[in-house]
Amino acid sequence: MISLTSPVRTRAHGWPVGAKLAGLCIASTGLFMVQGIWFHAAALAVVAALYALPGRAFLRAGLSALRVLVPFLVLVMAWHVLTGSTLTGIEVNLRMLTLVALANLVTMTTRLDDLVGMLHRLTAPLRRMGLSTQMLELGVPLVVRFTPVLIGKAGQLSQAWRARARSRPGWRILLPLSLQALDDADHVAEALRARSAPD
Amino acid sequence: MNGTAPPVSIHLDAVTWQANGREVLCDVSIQAHSSRIGVVGRNGSGKSTLARLMAGLLRPDRGRLGIDGIDPARDRKAALRTLGILFQNPEHQIIFPTVCEELAFGLRQLGQSRDQAGDEVRRILARFDRAHWHDAPVSALSQGQKHLVCMMAVLAMRPRLLILDEPFAGLDIPTRRQLQRQLDRAGVAVVHISHDPADLEGYDRLFWLDRGRIAAQGPASEVLPRFTAEMNRLGELDDLADLAG
Repeated sequence: MISLTSPVRTRAHGWPVGAKLAGLCIASTGLFMVQGIWFHAAALAVVAALYALPGRAFLRAGLSALRVLVPFLVLVMAWHVLTGSTLTGIEVNLRMLTLVALANLVTMTTRLDDLVGMLHRLTAPLRRMGLSTQMLELGVPLVVRFTPVLIGKAGQLSQAWRARARSRPGWRILLPLSLQALDDADHVAEALRARSAPD
Repeated sequence: MNGTAPPVSIHLDAVTWQANGREVLCDVSIQAHSSRIGVVGRNGSGKSTLARLMAGLLRPDRGRLGIDGIDPARDRKAALRTLGILFQNPEHQIIFPTVCEELAFGLRQLGQSRDQAGDEVRRILARFDRAHWHDAPVSALSQGQKHLVCMMAVLAMRPRLLILDEPFAGLDIPTRRQLQRQLDRAGVAVVHISHDPADLEGYDRLFWLDRGRIAAQGPASEVLPRFTAEMNRLGELDDLADLAG
């Protein structure tokens, strides 16, 4: 759900990933501890200003990444309006939007291998216990790589369906899509084997 | 072309490989010491299987196989230093979301540190005049560009032998020519596998694979005219009706 790339290079790209994640952690904790609709409105305004700083292209990419939140915002608002707590609903939504926007800001301005490197350091205790964290570190870039590929395949299947049918495919492409995903997994496994040595 | 590449030795001794009880390759024997080896054959003749066996991604069910004296399926460490393979479809080869990560992966597997691999990635991108691709997301690249990323990622590992499994199928003429030029400059021995005789003209060792067996071998100038004549003859028939098995 979170966009991982920025269309432009920002100053924040050069900041150490640890500092950005620590900042995100402190800001998130603060947002949960402090109540008050005006505080959260102000926090959101600050985050919006951060998005606007690197320029229009960045702002647009950032906002489009947040669009996936809209159904959740609508759902939360509807629930609170129905239960007669509209103000709480506004506050919850403001907080959610600010939190996700901040997290998104960190991923947009951080290179993936820096994030994975951080993950590697954070999971050091697991390795000391004898667990391999290699799969975890490999899994993150694989998800980022294959999410657009799968979306593209779903689009192709849907087109193949519509080319010979009057109805929209809907859930009926899920099975062939899963099979294609398994097929892709085979190919990735082969590609990994072609360039990596077993431990 | 590839005149500067040192030759490699390829030995296949009665190699058989089966899938679901059907022999995809049957008693294939190849002895070659050359920097330009070609394999030609129709779709389904076992070419891709042969490429994967040579790369050590598959293990022969029977027979023996060696590349410069190593068994690529058993000694993976030596195989990584000896050979690389380019798949037909770059989507099946690219593992990582950005160009720099994709190029760094193989180098890390060869034991380089993060910083070493990072420097090497920049060097290889500069050598291919693609320094500006460093942070590019793979999803934004064209098909031809993805092919080049695969080629750079494999060549970064400095193999002596590059196995090409129909690397240019489906690409337009300018893209093919540009990729071919990059390949020629790399100075690496190749086993080039293709259904298209035009790809293999001038190869000094050519093997014609037909239904899992070697049908003919020799220099391209001898084998290709016979292959082309046979393909044209088959084109007049209707063996599309035949089912495998």
